[in-house]
Amino acid sequence: MADGTHDDVNHPESGTGPSGPVPGGPPVAGRVSIRLDQVTKRYGAVTACDEVDLTLTAGRIHGVLGENGAGKSTLMKIMIGLVLPDEGTISIDGHRVRLADPTDAARFGIGMVHQHFSLVEPLRVWENVALGDEGRLDSSATRDRVKEISDRYGLDVDPDAVVGDLPVGMRQRVEIIKCLRRDPSILIFDEPTSVLTPAESEQLFDTLRHVVLEEGRAVALVSHKLDEIMRATDEVTIMRQGAVVRHVRTSEVDAAELAEAMVGRAVSLRSERVAPGDVDVDVDRSEVPDTHPELAPVVLEIDGLTVMTRDGRRLLDDLSLHVRKGEIVGIAGVEGNGQRTLADVLSSLIVSSSGEVRVDGASVQTGVAGAMAAAGVGVIPEDRHDSGVVLEMTVAQNLALVDIVDIARNGVIDRRAMSGTAERLIDEFEISCAGADAPLFSLSGGNQQRVVLARELSREPEVLIAAQPTRGLDVGAIEYMTNRLRQAAEAGVGILLISSELEEILDLAHRILVISDGRIIGQMARGEADLGRLGLLMGGQVA
Amino acid sequence: MTTGFESADIDHGAASSPDMSEQPPRSGGSGRLGATGFARITSAGEVVGLYALCIVAALLLSALIVQVTGGDSLAVFSALLDGSLRGPGRIGETLGVMAPLLVVALGAIISNRAGLVNIGQEGQLFIGAAFATYVGTRIGGPGPLVILALLFASAIGGALWAGIAAALKYRRNVPEVLTTLLLVTVAAQLAGFGLKNQWLLLAPPEGRANRQQISQQLDPDTRIPLVTMFGNQFPISVFFALCGAALVAFLLARTVWGFRLLALGHNERTAQRAGVAASRYGAGALLLGGGFAGLAGGIMLAGGDFGNYTLVPGFPAEIGWTGLLVALVGRQRVFATIIVAFVFAGLRTGSGFVAATGVERRITDVVQGLLVLALLIPPALLFLRQRRRAMAARESRT
Repeated sequence: MADGTHDDVNHPESGTGPSGPVPGGPPVAGRVSIRLDQVTKRYGAVTACDEVDLTLTAGRIHGVLGENGAGKSTLMKIMIGLVLPDEGTISIDGHRVRLADPTDAARFGIGMVHQHFSLVEPLRVWENVALGDEGRLDSSATRDRVKEISDRYGLDVDPDAVVGDLPVGMRQRVEIIKCLRRDPSILIFDEPTSVLTPAESEQLFDTLRHVVLEEGRAVALVSHKLDEIMRATDEVTIMRQGAVVRHVRTSEVDAAELAEAMVGRAVSLRSERVAPGDVDVDVDRSEVPDTHPELAPVVLEIDGLTVMTRDGRRLLDDLSLHVRKGEIVGIAGVEGNGQRTLADVLSSLIVSSSGEVRVDGASVQTGVAGAMAAAGVGVIPEDRHDSGVVLEMTVAQNLALVDIVDIARNGVIDRRAMSGTAERLIDEFEISCAGADAPLFSLSGGNQQRVVLARELSREPEVLIAAQPTRGLDVGAIEYMTNRLRQAAEAGVGILLISSELEEILDLAHRILVISDGRIIGQMARGEADLGRLGLLMGGQVA
Repeated sequence: MTTGFESADIDHGAASSPDMSEQPPRSGGSGRLGATGFARITSAGEVVGLYALCIVAALLLSALIVQVTGGDSLAVFSALLDGSLRGPGRIGETLGVMAPLLVVALGAIISNRAGLVNIGQEGQLFIGAAFATYVGTRIGGPGPLVILALLFASAIGGALWAGIAAALKYRRNVPEVLTTLLLVTVAAQLAGFGLKNQWLLLAPPEGRANRQQISQQLDPDTRIPLVTMFGNQFPISVFFALCGAALVAFLLARTVWGFRLLALGHNERTAQRAGVAASRYGAGALLLGGGFAGLAGGIMLAGGDFGNYTLVPGFPAEIGWTGLLVALVGRQRVFATIIVAFVFAGLRTGSGFVAATGVERRITDVVQGLLVLALLIPPALLFLRQRRRAMAARESRT
């Protein structure tokens, strides 16, 4: 611990037994599992990790908090041997080691559950788990092992389910099983809840507790969400711009302090997803201006929309809703209940089996390329890489993607107009990039999301579909996105907010609809929103 | 779905290395990017050096193979140069081969831009040549008009052949990489059938001197005119192929159509949302790719460098396959593709002279294969490095 000023916790030296210096530590805690000392990694002129110290202790959950790009991921990659540090040492159980590749890390008992899943969709769960094994494929043994782990940790995963059919939360559990199967002593979770519902996150943390307390494993939880750091971790290391800025016991700080350390300035926590219990819902409600959108004209009307798969399952079942000018309508629900299909229909990606979509009173055909966009439906998709951006094209090209015809004469693109518009939007939406000609994949996730937001809002849509718009973003970016959505609504855009984060909906929406099994099964104005009833509805019970 | 290894490899490079792209950079554009440190992937000198190194390695390896098999490598290379460039009139021969190669490659670039892996040019070319033969030997009229008609017919023939693959892909979801490839064999059979039947392509008995399966020769006034420059004689289709290349470069880089193909090629769903229907733009790109291959067949037939103005079995002479390689090595850049087409044409015309050195002329196939590898290695290396830097840059950005 050369850099003592950044360190509020004295760690026991490796292998010195129970955690004496830390009062009130968890009972099993104490043995240092892995220790990173003054680890530095540079990429050219960029220092991704700058003399970072990190110690994971058996029986403890160690949060690693930081904004996108703070160097958390690089640090984790160093721990699992994907990245070799330029300087510094790593020791495991007191022995200095060199982690040259992931097999090394696996041999030392380090396992990681990645933010982006590495699952093969057409394969079954057990097949995915067996992937990468050597020797003969033993399907029944693998199945049993999956079942056993699933039961032990209450993961409820069916080894024979096809991964492609599973909702994200389930897929993550498959990843967790893949990891736990190798019985790692050190577990790293990279942004695990970015794809989970609150209930699923809760369950994940239960699993983590189990893993830590009863089995004495060491866990690193990488996150930029304050609430889960507060809720789930024993200690937390905060990173900013590649360096550790603080290391404290979680019980000794509050969310505001963490946020400030993470961003380097004081932030308003009101529009952020702090632990739901900490949020004063009434205070939030007063933030929405007292306009009367219920009297405004309807801009989006969906009438009896049904989408069936080829094998006859109903993804959307006679779904009807409307959004008025300037109104934010929140669609709450557990993920996998038709939200994605709804957004896909409104992105012209799916043909509906029956029903009608009307924008500004005019019926729009579903599944016709570009028809929804042309009718004035803007979309911030749930997965921008899937249907929001083209990673290989430039920032300017992505910004012009939908309205390319408008900046062309006789089919020839006016490049000056294209880059002019791009420069303007880059300024206006504070997109941090190397320039309008930078390929989109060079931007951070938050900035890619801003590109989508800039494009969709600059088209002056009648209605904007925002699907999980703040997922995976850090506090600063969430604040920005939330404010932008509010401003858009004030400017008269009807907004359909599809989110599995209840607080986000309570924070923004004028009216809340609950979706379950492809149907809208309940609706309430924000004034009468009742968390208990919402919870029941989200669970599919008509209350 | 862009599953093609080519599209993945080629397109990343094209979209993300502005200093190597054929798109003319806007004033100050590349300079500004260069200053940012991230987009400036690598200096031009490094790139040239890397390519030079790989080519030299390929040539040395080729020389080694010649020596080991008992030949004289210097004599072989000298023969290659004589046959492609140095011998009197040989540049004209090489240009005559380059034209169809380039036209095939342009079609491949278009299909590839839309994320499609059309590898059936050899068959599309054969069908195109068959259509051209039929039209060229059947209709009468002023020569230039017949030439235009037969070239038009060849493009239609190639497009129809690729159209089968397009219909299967967009109606039945059959991968085009399979259908285009398998249709090559069918095309050869079909052309062979045509060449056995006088009501189709077979020449009347008096014109074929007992040969089976040969078409009637094109009349002299329905052949593509030849020009002679600096002692080299070649068909004027060479100029049209070069103009076509410029046109394709412009269309892809500057038009809404090219923009939309690019979007479709990289992300079909984003493209669909933005108004690019895969079935329309994708099928269009596939038809165009086939049309270009078919046109190459027409040019080969009426240009005279292949088959002496007649259609025979095996007429495509692997120009379709080689054209596909040319596009692959040119990596979506039209200008680079022109150069590669010339080099590969040179290897082909040069190979005719190699036999005189006592070495199997097929050695040029080995040289060509090694050159393909040599030319594909630098972009792969650059791509990996660039990706790594981009990732690093992204990680460092807050």
